[in-house]
Amino acid sequence: MTSAEGLSRRDDLRRRLRGTSGRGRKLRGLVILLRPYRMRVIAMFVALVVGTAASLAPAPLAQQAIDNGILAKDISTLDWIVVAFVISGLLVWVGTFFQTYLTGWVGQRALQDLRLQIFTHLQEMPVGFYERRPAGVLISRMTNDVEALDSLVTDSVVTLFQASLTLIGSIVILLLFDVKLALITFLIFPVMAIGSLLFRIASADAYRRTRETIGRITAYLQESLSGIRVVRAFAQEPRHVGEFAALNDLNRDANMVTVKLNAAYFPAVEFVSSLATVLVLIFGGAQAIDGQVTVGVLVGFIAALNGFFDPIGQLSQLYTTYQSGMAALDKIFELLDEQPDLVEPTDPVTLPQPLHGEITFDHVTFAYRTQDGTKLALDDVDLNVPPGQTVALVGATGAGKSTFAKLVARFYDPTEGRVLVDGIDLRDVSSRALREQMGIVPQEGFLFSGTIGDNISFGNPEADAAALEDACRAVGAWDFIDRLPEGLDTQIGERGVQLSAGQRQLVAFARALVADPRILILDEATSNVDLHTETKIEEGLRRLLAGRTAIVIAHRLSTIRQSGRIVVLDGGRIVEQGTHDELLEAEGAYFSLYRDWAQQAAA
Amino acid sequence: MAIFRRLLGFLRPYRSGVIWSFVLATLAMVASVAIPWLVGRGIDQVRAHDHTGLRNYGIAVAIAGVLSFGLSVARRLVAGRVSLGVEYDLRNTFYAHLQALELGFFDRQQTGQLMSRATVDLQGVRFFLGYGLVFIVQSALTIVLVAAAMILMNPGLAALALIPVPFVVMIAQRYGRRARPAAQEVQQRIAELTAEVEENISGVRVVKAFAREERQLGRFAGTTQRVFDQAMIATRLQAYYNPLIGFLPQLGLAVVLLIGGRRVVNGSMSIGDFTAFYTYLLRLLSPMRSLGMLLGMAQRATAAGARLFEILDRTPRIVAPNGAPVLPEGSGAVRFEHVTLGYEGQDVPALHDVSIDVPAGRTVALVGATGSGKTTLVQLLPRLYDPIEGRVLVDGVDVRTVATASLREAIAVVDDAPFLFSTSVRENIAYARPDATFEEVEIAARRAQAHGFIEHLPEGYDTRIGERGLTLSGGQRQRVAIARAFLADPRILILDDATSSVDASTEQEIKTALREVMAGRTTFVIAHRLSTIALADEIVVLEDGELIAHGTHDELLELSDLYREIVEKGLPDQVFLTRNPVEREVAGL
Repeated sequence: MTSAEGLSRRDDLRRRLRGTSGRGRKLRGLVILLRPYRMRVIAMFVALVVGTAASLAPAPLAQQAIDNGILAKDISTLDWIVVAFVISGLLVWVGTFFQTYLTGWVGQRALQDLRLQIFTHLQEMPVGFYERRPAGVLISRMTNDVEALDSLVTDSVVTLFQASLTLIGSIVILLLFDVKLALITFLIFPVMAIGSLLFRIASADAYRRTRETIGRITAYLQESLSGIRVVRAFAQEPRHVGEFAALNDLNRDANMVTVKLNAAYFPAVEFVSSLATVLVLIFGGAQAIDGQVTVGVLVGFIAALNGFFDPIGQLSQLYTTYQSGMAALDKIFELLDEQPDLVEPTDPVTLPQPLHGEITFDHVTFAYRTQDGTKLALDDVDLNVPPGQTVALVGATGAGKSTFAKLVARFYDPTEGRVLVDGIDLRDVSSRALREQMGIVPQEGFLFSGTIGDNISFGNPEADAAALEDACRAVGAWDFIDRLPEGLDTQIGERGVQLSAGQRQLVAFARALVADPRILILDEATSNVDLHTETKIEEGLRRLLAGRTAIVIAHRLSTIRQSGRIVVLDGGRIVEQGTHDELLEAEGAYFSLYRDWAQQAAA
Repeated sequence: MAIFRRLLGFLRPYRSGVIWSFVLATLAMVASVAIPWLVGRGIDQVRAHDHTGLRNYGIAVAIAGVLSFGLSVARRLVAGRVSLGVEYDLRNTFYAHLQALELGFFDRQQTGQLMSRATVDLQGVRFFLGYGLVFIVQSALTIVLVAAAMILMNPGLAALALIPVPFVVMIAQRYGRRARPAAQEVQQRIAELTAEVEENISGVRVVKAFAREERQLGRFAGTTQRVFDQAMIATRLQAYYNPLIGFLPQLGLAVVLLIGGRRVVNGSMSIGDFTAFYTYLLRLLSPMRSLGMLLGMAQRATAAGARLFEILDRTPRIVAPNGAPVLPEGSGAVRFEHVTLGYEGQDVPALHDVSIDVPAGRTVALVGATGSGKTTLVQLLPRLYDPIEGRVLVDGVDVRTVATASLREAIAVVDDAPFLFSTSVRENIAYARPDATFEEVEIAARRAQAHGFIEHLPEGYDTRIGERGLTLSGGQRQRVAIARAFLADPRILILDDATSSVDASTEQEIKTALREVMAGRTTFVIAHRLSTIALADEIVVLEDGELIAHGTHDELLELSDLYREIVEKGLPDQVFLTRNPVEREVAGL
């Protein structure tokens, strides 16, 4: 074995010893989650203590009833004790009611807060973050992992405190009975500690793997259900069923490892307990025979042992829930610890309301991070777009047009140089304030489930039905919306599949128009709209573009020709710019693009 | 109850495992119950001052401990295997069923809803079938045995002491009746939450573009609040019923103390019998309490099961008849006969009485306004949907009479926003034929004009495509999709707006690719650009789901006002055509 191997092994062991990483951090995290509800948490503990204490009462009360009532032939004492007995039962009832209710309340509230926290965090992450991660894995964090925490919070907290209270009480009772026997009993602790340590080392990875495999199942489900049309069209169902079964198998295996570990651990805890009983019996018995302790003490001590071992058993049972909850929390915090690449300014500059809409690219270079290094997308781009101008970006696939648009919307920050709006560096304004004055119509019109009206008023929820109708008419969407069973109130299915691609695009146009942005970005937005419709919405497009600064990525000549300026990109650089006629005159890059066009269209 | 019985059905393959885990659990219980008894005998030896006897009983306790240890380990292994097996089977069954359902089902289902069922709901079922069930049986058995022992000992007192038992059962039942719908609604709302999360993650670009984070957060907060409210309804039921179920047996204890105590006092019962009776009743307490908890678990499992069965019971609407023959050999002739189709929830039919006859090898362009039914029409071919009226024939055979897989193997679709899986480029191209050799994949890519850019990817054909292929540009994705269709080697090809999202020079390459793939196949082209329409031999014009014209370009210029309008309004796109009259002739315009 080389020394490097030895080292990595030691590191691995150390990592496993810690069980899951940053335990202190996670416990603190849990405390922070519970802090807003501390009054309820305190009330819950009061209910818990009352309930636990009352539930301990029946045994001594019964003892009293037998000794002082039945054996002493004192019926009225018996009756009173029975009354106390029933009262203690009622107390347990009330205590358990409040404790169950409050635990449920606090637990559910904390989980709700956690979900909102994850959601908010996800919203703060830049678009690039989502491009690197399967959606399903993110979803799994907010569903499966939070569910795992649910059982930790609601079931375990109660057991934890109940068992701990009982354990402490029992320790005191045992010590009062006989110190020597108690110390023998406590020999169980180091044994348990070593056992639990071994269990933790063995299980640290196991629980993490169960979280990861369920995450992969979720991700696979998400992807194969999103792509269900492709699956159907190519008749590949059996294959997906097979692949899914393989992932399912991995998940089962990961769970089986935890089942095996648990199968060894819990009975072992019980076993150690019964060994301790044997020790006490033989050692204490011998002492009793020798007369060093009374038989009564021995009997009482052995009876009290149950109160000692039961909570230890319960606590060890809890350890699984704890492990899997902690593994889930680990994954959740991992996500919450992700820092957005785009840093929001702490003291953002206020944008003019409304913006003039001047866009400046000042020596902008941008490279995407890829698995192995970076990929240059824009190379030292310098450009000034005066307010109100429509700029068409033209160039081959991969020339950097979409990157250009993404930098304007600050989906990314430039690697070098600055992007300015109205002379203000985008890094100095809050992206929200920027995007409130910016409209983007992407190539694929993503619609949310809900009504068509909801989708159109997405950027401006205050817009009334008349305003929505106007916008729809302007972009030529009214014809088809009017014919839907409930017009604007028609529900659209998951991602609006019941609308055609072109109809979705028209809705996306109307959405941008209603938002009334100062800067508009059309990313290949008209490609899904047929000519017939496009000619109809030409007027709408013109209205959409009028008075706004617009960056248009288009392949349609008609759209490009309308723009005030055409910028030709190639390999991330601006190679040419000017109006349509100027560029044709110049017979440069645009001219040859144009010729290609002519040829392909003719071919 | 029917749902419950069906859930039990999933245990059938594990019958022996279930029986074993029950037997092992009982034996382990016996071994652990034996320990206090043996300890008691050991103390008797202490009283008798018998060192050897004491040691022997000590050893006996240790042996019982070892036995209980071994039995518990075995029970946990067996029960764990059963419970994971059930989860595994259920999840596979569920997924396989989803894959069997027709596309129309997914139009109306949120992906997140289905995901929630396959994960959260399934785990509820798993815990119950794997662990809960054995404990329920065990608890019930303990109750019955202890009750029997009590009745044998003192029927009168037993009757009094056991009075609460029927009430406990009744209340537990009542709890079940009320808790199940509450639990089911919790699951439903968690599924809604999952769906909302899914939608927000998929639509993150739109949310960010419109700076609507706060609104989405507000909506999500509403959804989490709905989960909270419903969880609290369930919690309130639990908080009310669980302690009640725990309290009633304690009344039995009180009755024994009160009545039994009096009998001991007036001498009609021995103190020994009384103590034994009381101890027995104590033994009833914990199974009764856990019965309440276990019933709650059963309710959740049944609720989750109901949600699973809701999907599993939905019979696939598009199925080939049993033993349907495969699609006969042919060269891809297609006939639509008086086809009418309406989507669920829409009044106006998407297609109305459409008839088209396409000889094998022809290329047909479908032209019409947005929403006129072009995509709907071609989706009938691979039977993604079935028409309400009329028939679709491929090579003279009604598509509904042949095995669906064989039909779909004969048809390939390339659409406007091709969906790629987050696997390697190679796997995506070989999607329809996973067994294709690397050479075949490369040939397909070359012919689809994709080889060039694939070679420049960091790891060539083995480059993994990011989530939903976002790292490839629209034009690149399209070419991968064309290569995919290529390798499928279909007799019918459907190009749904396949060149819309690419720029002119890329379109040139894609056109070259398309011409390669179209050769010798029947092709349907849905296009908005005249340049793409020019690929076709004949043109079908659709308006509002009806076929209004069908013919060659020249015929339609004569016959169809709508087509003429499309051509004329499309003129800005063809400025160059006037500049290159020779090529214009080639295009047939």
